[in-house]
Amino acid sequence: MKFLRKILDETGKFVKKTPALKRLYPVFEATDEFFFGTDKTTILPHVMDGMDIKRYMSFVIIALVPATIAGVYFYGLRVLAVIAVSYAFGGLVEVTFSVCRRKPLYEGFLVTGLIFPLILPPGIPLWMVAIGVVFGTLFGKEVFGGTGRNIFNPALVGRVFISLAFPEFFTTMWQKPFWGGLGGLIKFAPDAVTSATPLVNFKSAHFLTGYSSLLFGSAPGSIGETFRIGILLGGIFLIIVKIVDWRIPLSFLASVFILSFFGNIFYPNEFAPPLFQLLSGGLLFGAFFMATDPVTAPLTFSGRWIYGSLLGILTVLFRGLTGFVEGVMFAILLMNAVAPFIDNLIIDIRFKKISSSA
Amino acid sequence: MKVKTFSGGYKLKRFQGQPQDKIIECDLPSEVSIPMSQGFGSELLPSVKVGDKVSRGQIIACDDNKTSSPIHSSVSGIVTAIEKKNYFKRELTMVTIKTGADDGCLKLEGATVRWDKLPNKKIEELLYKSGVSSLDREGIPTSFKTSIIGPEAVEDLIIHGVGSEAYNTSLDILLAGRNLYNFIEGIKILMKIMPKAKVHLAFNKEKKKILERIKKLTTKFTNFSIYPVVPKYPQGYDEVLVPTLLGKRFPYGYSAANIGIVVLNIQAVLKVFEAVGQGKPLIERIVSLCGPSFKENIHIKVRVGTSLEHLLKDRLKDGPCRIILNSLFTGANLNNLSLPVNRTYSQIIAIPESSQRHFLAFARAGMHTDSFSRTFLSAATTTKKIPNTNMRGDERPCIQCGYCSEVCPVAIMPTLIDRYIKLGINENLLRYGIFNCIECNLCTYVCPSKVLLGQHLKAAKIKLIEIGCDQSLCIVPRFDFKEFDEYKGVKKLR
Ligand code: SF4
Ligand code: SF4
Repeated sequence: MKFLRKILDETGKFVKKTPALKRLYPVFEATDEFFFGTDKTTILPHVMDGMDIKRYMSFVIIALVPATIAGVYFYGLRVLAVIAVSYAFGGLVEVTFSVCRRKPLYEGFLVTGLIFPLILPPGIPLWMVAIGVVFGTLFGKEVFGGTGRNIFNPALVGRVFISLAFPEFFTTMWQKPFWGGLGGLIKFAPDAVTSATPLVNFKSAHFLTGYSSLLFGSAPGSIGETFRIGILLGGIFLIIVKIVDWRIPLSFLASVFILSFFGNIFYPNEFAPPLFQLLSGGLLFGAFFMATDPVTAPLTFSGRWIYGSLLGILTVLFRGLTGFVEGVMFAILLMNAVAPFIDNLIIDIRFKKISSSA
Repeated sequence: MKVKTFSGGYKLKRFQGQPQDKIIECDLPSEVSIPMSQGFGSELLPSVKVGDKVSRGQIIACDDNKTSSPIHSSVSGIVTAIEKKNYFKRELTMVTIKTGADDGCLKLEGATVRWDKLPNKKIEELLYKSGVSSLDREGIPTSFKTSIIGPEAVEDLIIHGVGSEAYNTSLDILLAGRNLYNFIEGIKILMKIMPKAKVHLAFNKEKKKILERIKKLTTKFTNFSIYPVVPKYPQGYDEVLVPTLLGKRFPYGYSAANIGIVVLNIQAVLKVFEAVGQGKPLIERIVSLCGPSFKENIHIKVRVGTSLEHLLKDRLKDGPCRIILNSLFTGANLNNLSLPVNRTYSQIIAIPESSQRHFLAFARAGMHTDSFSRTFLSAATTTKKIPNTNMRGDERPCIQCGYCSEVCPVAIMPTLIDRYIKLGINENLLRYGIFNCIECNLCTYVCPSKVLLGQHLKAAKIKLIEIGCDQSLCIVPRFDFKEFDEYKGVKKLR
């Protein structure tokens, strides 16, 4: 610890002194703060809550661990390479921007960098990961002014971008997961056997994948989206520690359930049964980890109810009536754009205008 | 008895260094300096001169024409100086008295335990003469201009022992033994002088024993109700007590007295009895010494005017610490230890000043860290939380987590107001209720991004007033105009 402190102190002095490196100071500062916390003291109130953004983000990452490990298990060690590429390139964009803007480096990217690979198809080429994450961070976040100001979830922006830019890849990258034994933990990547995802299966052949294989992840899907038990556990964990607001996942999942229940009764060909809807595709992952991203979700609590319910409705409609079987992504992106308006509406209702005569 | 509470707020977990149920008396200081304004009321001119001999309990400042209550000498001795000193950001005259031989405490004339035989006027005079009428935020109304309203205008009297702060003076100590009966007598006295008032007693719901005993003792009272309340911070604030108990809206920015409500705490009611029943002038306070930087966390009975230096001598642990008055969230720093204790002191808190950096601070298990979120182990255990003055994180842009709106006791959205403050300070802020903010600082506490919301809001309020915004503007839309006519003290409405 003392040793590390010494190294950091020396590096800090060096970076500050060297003109060529001076602009990299924020990077150094962020590292320093990461390891040693702060030495600032309070003014009022005299004490502060122990929680800070670093802890906030770390807990999201902890909650993603089961899904990540499952991803490796199902799709081989190559997944780790995908994650590494995502962190490396996304981090690069982040650092570049913080240096150019002379602003401190923030932690938000730690979560985006992990969520992004988890929503990719397992067979994705590494260069595409790099393109996606760079695009997502740039256009999902930095153009809006960085962490806290972004309207769209950067990981989703990247994902949607590559799926629209290279659609041809997206039909062939759904590999069959390893199942049984040590699985992918000792292999690099699955064989090139691809198969259709459960949602596509339903769309094209009205074939319902079994619930247990959906729950445990033996049906194909995105890297981190298929081990649904782990996602549920992670999500509930986040709700318990109060990092995720329960209102969003609850209203999201409930409205999917209700709408598909009735949809399935009246139009069984278009709308899959409710439980299947809940357990397929990226719904659970989206509901617990992406729709709840506080920056892009509404701030008001009633707004969050509306947001969640609309998300559910949109998802079911996208899945049932359009060719984009993976409706969750589009629904979330769309609602991200609507979220500020929902907030404004609620705030307008809640805080009445003060008439000028008063 | 239905438990009452409000939405928002945060129940502070037990911090280390709660005052124990032990009370000692502070030894007499060699001199006291007595500020000429204590509690509610304007500053008075001393009626003594340097060189005068004064007795304990003698009135040394009194002005019947000002909204004020008299001030007494807390020791017997000789006045050695009268000078202006900076006391809590105000220039105040202080009378310094050198302690001499004690010739006993002057008793107030006419005080008797058979106070029910006294006419109201006499009781009010006793309250006034004893200085008790200056206690709490708006004073106790008497016919002697001690509050902004008179006693007959009081519609509701709220007495509270909520204990919602991080550190609270122990109710068990305050109401120990005979004190409980004195407390009940005190309530009766107040009921007598405020004939129209309904009395509401709000008590920490965790103090079941005391609650039961009070309930037994008050069964015959009319116009009297007891409410157990959840000790969520900041339940003890007038602005929160009034809506919680009475369901009335509060005229934020004004005082409870403006709508005919008086809020008193337990110590004030006890003093009421001591003044009327025993003739004791208000020259002593029970102060609790809280926080981990004290060697011993106890209650201490101290004379008004005793310097902090004398009071805290040998009671603090070594090492840098911050000394805070009354509240961990809003209290003033007590940096200058030569300044005296006055009537408003109830807790003195000392916590370690910690600018020390911690290795991987954000990843600690946190057995002793308090947090609104449940991300620390402490959420699952009952260990005492250790307070210190470290920021515990770096300031970051708001991530819209919504914690601040969730805890705000007056249901405004601090982060929304903060966002508009950045866009410019103008009347728009009134719309979002900036003047509703009661400066409890809870939002700053819970914010994971360490945005100093409370301070931003306070600074903006001051600016707004400077540019001529009237606080009442933000009350107008929320209140019926009819009710407004009944507002006492509110003049500029349009
Ligand atoms: S608590 Fe802090 S981060 Fe959360 S919404 Fe309020 S200001 Fe923003
Ligand atoms: S300081 Fe003001 S805005 Fe913040 S929680 Fe308290 S009342 Fe609400």
